Amino acid sequence: MKEITLTINDKLVRGLEGATLLEVCQANGVDVPTLCHLEGLSDVGACRMCVVEVEKERRPVPSCTYPAREGLVVKTHTEKLEKYRRMILELVLSERNHFCMFCGQSGDCELQKLAYRYQVDSVRFPYGFPPFPVDSTSEYLMVDHNRCVLCGRCVRTCAEIAGFHVLDFSGRGWKTVVSADLGQMLGESSCVACGACAQACPTGAILSKLSLYKGRASECHRVATVCPMCGVGCELNVLVKDGNLVRIEASKLSVSAGPLCKEACFELLRPARARVTIPMARNRQGKLEELFVDGAIEVAAQHLGKLGGQAAGMVSTRYPNEALNLFQTFMRKVVGSECIDTLDGDDYRLIAQGIAQFPGGGKGLDIECPVEEISEADCILVVGADPLRTHPTVAARIRRAMVGRRAKLMVVDAQRDVFPLWTDLWLKPQAGTELILLDGLANILAARGLVRRGRVGGGEVRPLRQYDVSEVSLVTKIESQRLEMAADMFGQAKRGVILYGKGLLEKGDLNLVTCLLNLSDLTGNWVEEHLRVISLKANVNSRGGWEMGLATRAIPRGDVKGLYLLLADEERDGGLLEWAKGLDFLMVQASYHSPYTAAADVVLPSPIWAEREGTYKSMDGRLLKSRRVLQPQGGLLQDQEIMVKLARKLGHNIGSS
Amino acid sequence: MAKAKVATAWLAGCAGCHMSFLDIDEAIVNLASQVEFTRSPVTDVKEFSPVDVGIFEGAVTNTDNEETLKKLRANCKILMAWGDCACFGGIPTMRNLFDKSEVLRRGYIETESTGKGKVPSSEELPRLLEQVMPANQVVKVDCYVPGCPPSSKAILYALGQLLKGRIPVLPSELMRYD
Repeated sequence: MKEITLTINDKLVRGLEGATLLEVCQANGVDVPTLCHLEGLSDVGACRMCVVEVEKERRPVPSCTYPAREGLVVKTHTEKLEKYRRMILELVLSERNHFCMFCGQSGDCELQKLAYRYQVDSVRFPYGFPPFPVDSTSEYLMVDHNRCVLCGRCVRTCAEIAGFHVLDFSGRGWKTVVSADLGQMLGESSCVACGACAQACPTGAILSKLSLYKGRASECHRVATVCPMCGVGCELNVLVKDGNLVRIEASKLSVSAGPLCKEACFELLRPARARVTIPMARNRQGKLEELFVDGAIEVAAQHLGKLGGQAAGMVSTRYPNEALNLFQTFMRKVVGSECIDTLDGDDYRLIAQGIAQFPGGGKGLDIECPVEEISEADCILVVGADPLRTHPTVAARIRRAMVGRRAKLMVVDAQRDVFPLWTDLWLKPQAGTELILLDGLANILAARGLVRRGRVGGGEVRPLRQYDVSEVSLVTKIESQRLEMAADMFGQAKRGVILYGKGLLEKGDLNLVTCLLNLSDLTGNWVEEHLRVISLKANVNSRGGWEMGLATRAIPRGDVKGLYLLLADEERDGGLLEWAKGLDFLMVQASYHSPYTAAADVVLPSPIWAEREGTYKSMDGRLLKSRRVLQPQGGLLQDQEIMVKLARKLGHNIGSS
Repeated sequence: MAKAKVATAWLAGCAGCHMSFLDIDEAIVNLASQVEFTRSPVTDVKEFSPVDVGIFEGAVTNTDNEETLKKLRANCKILMAWGDCACFGGIPTMRNLFDKSEVLRRGYIETESTGKGKVPSSEELPRLLEQVMPANQVVKVDCYVPGCPPSSKAILYALGQLLKGRIPVLPSELMRYD
């Protein structure tokens, strides 16, 4: 970009052509007040706080939308401008209810800060007192239209950052309100509660219910850490006051990072479920009895020592690499058992074998592409996955690609369309015919001349089997026309991304994974060394655990007599329960009470996500660093410390803590 | 030097601003040597007499508030508003979102603690205005100390400025609306 020179407040400053005047001012340390401007969003010049005087312009212009040009002479703080700004604030204050003493945003409100700055101690204009409703129908957000200044930051955030386009203005003049969908209450609208609008709102118009009155942002300290909820591993900014979680925000609102999700912004703030805080062991009467840590460790050590190779260990991939690594050492070296697995190990083995079967799959999980590719896609194929529920930020990326790049969305799912509002094409195969559908699509692509030169097999189509459209149609019960439409949609795309998840993995067929890689390869969807294929991994450190070799082999359940289960704060279904109950010895390390802790012979408390720290590997292979946000409740030991103590009891020295 | 005469009043407010004024602690000793309080809720003098400074807290919500404010204005050289209710309307304006009759019905008849309620209609009683207003919609106000309540520091600052013969404008760091 070309560098330009202009004069701001009698000083020569440099700027870049294409930047706005506001950007040049900010880059040169000139503090121009703003309200509707928010870094990361497009500018609309709604509030007029940032007006400046430009020589040869007849009236003040909003600097946020005025392009900086060579030779401009600009004044930012003349008496006239400051008078205008104060008047704007008075007008805004008189328009609706902006009385701070009963507002949850007081102290963090940008309107309030501006009014203080401009010493607004009275308002010359009569107040409007228009009666606007308060919408508290959303589970997480409260919208008080009386506090809205119509800056449109939420509207732009919803459109540009979240990509959902749920919020927009409705009505005219002073009756204008921000509304969801076509005037629905927020709780009944298509809002997914990503929380970005609440973070963007400068006043108390959109507030997070779970953060309300817990503390002002200015009184909190902030910890930058990583979300533990899914494999994406979003960066979080956690606000903490007096040892309590107050608010969770995106570290930066930006189009490239996108929004967080309701799990990160809100669910993590929910009051904890019943925590395990005291170690327990089963006494002679068969009841769980509370013990000191050392007592529980003594019991555990006796059992594990006896079991040796017959003890298995299973671990949640919510744990950071450091804990997983120590767990591995503990099981292999101290207990002397090779029976170890992660709780999501089945997924890994299927994905890894599916990739290995693909001719270009030598690099394992590295064949997959970064999640950012989703936002750049022009066609997205979602197979056996429900991103809105399991990986909401991935869903947001899909939506942004659809809105910003007109990407097409295809869903393959035998049960339901996982994006009922968005999907362009839903292929609903007969249950169990997914493989034929996906492999068939490769054949149809070839038949329609849509195969590009892939990298493997000299670019030839390599479906697992040969089908023609009518055969595929007959088996899957999808009309040929739809199949051809699907092939065209994906084949003609320049950047076709394939996403798959739990629904596909549950089928237990590794050919499905290979098939998807084939599809991606023969449509030429390579980015550098990666294919545009992403498997949605369940936990923040799923990939870390797998790559460490914790999930290489499934545990031979018949050969095992005891289990050391490290659940952490992961919520598990009862899938393992029957097997675990039937074992001679079950030891559970968990943050919350569950059927597993109830069935255990020894229970040890485990810190929750906010009380741990360490490194994770995100599902697309980025190394993430999480920091401790809270001190462990009641002085709980870290999981590593427990393992070190256990090892010591068994006569080994692993790690130092 | 003659002491400056000051009268204070409260309209539709909670007395919080007067409380905050009393929070100036020992500074009141020094102030008392320079200021004479005539009519005020503290002195319990009811009549208005000419003063240098008139101070009030609270918004204007009924005919009594209106009359008090107008009398105070007529009897002072400088009129100062204390608190968000006086400056902007504050909490009492919440009733402006409803119709007056609705508010009276809810307050006197439908309140949970009321048995057979009745909206008082005696001629002796002041009547509610249609809308609650900040004072500057009724009379001219010369200076403002916003806050709910204003800090005693802000109040002391404003009084100090007046004693120095200046019309106070609170600096940003003393401004607060909550």
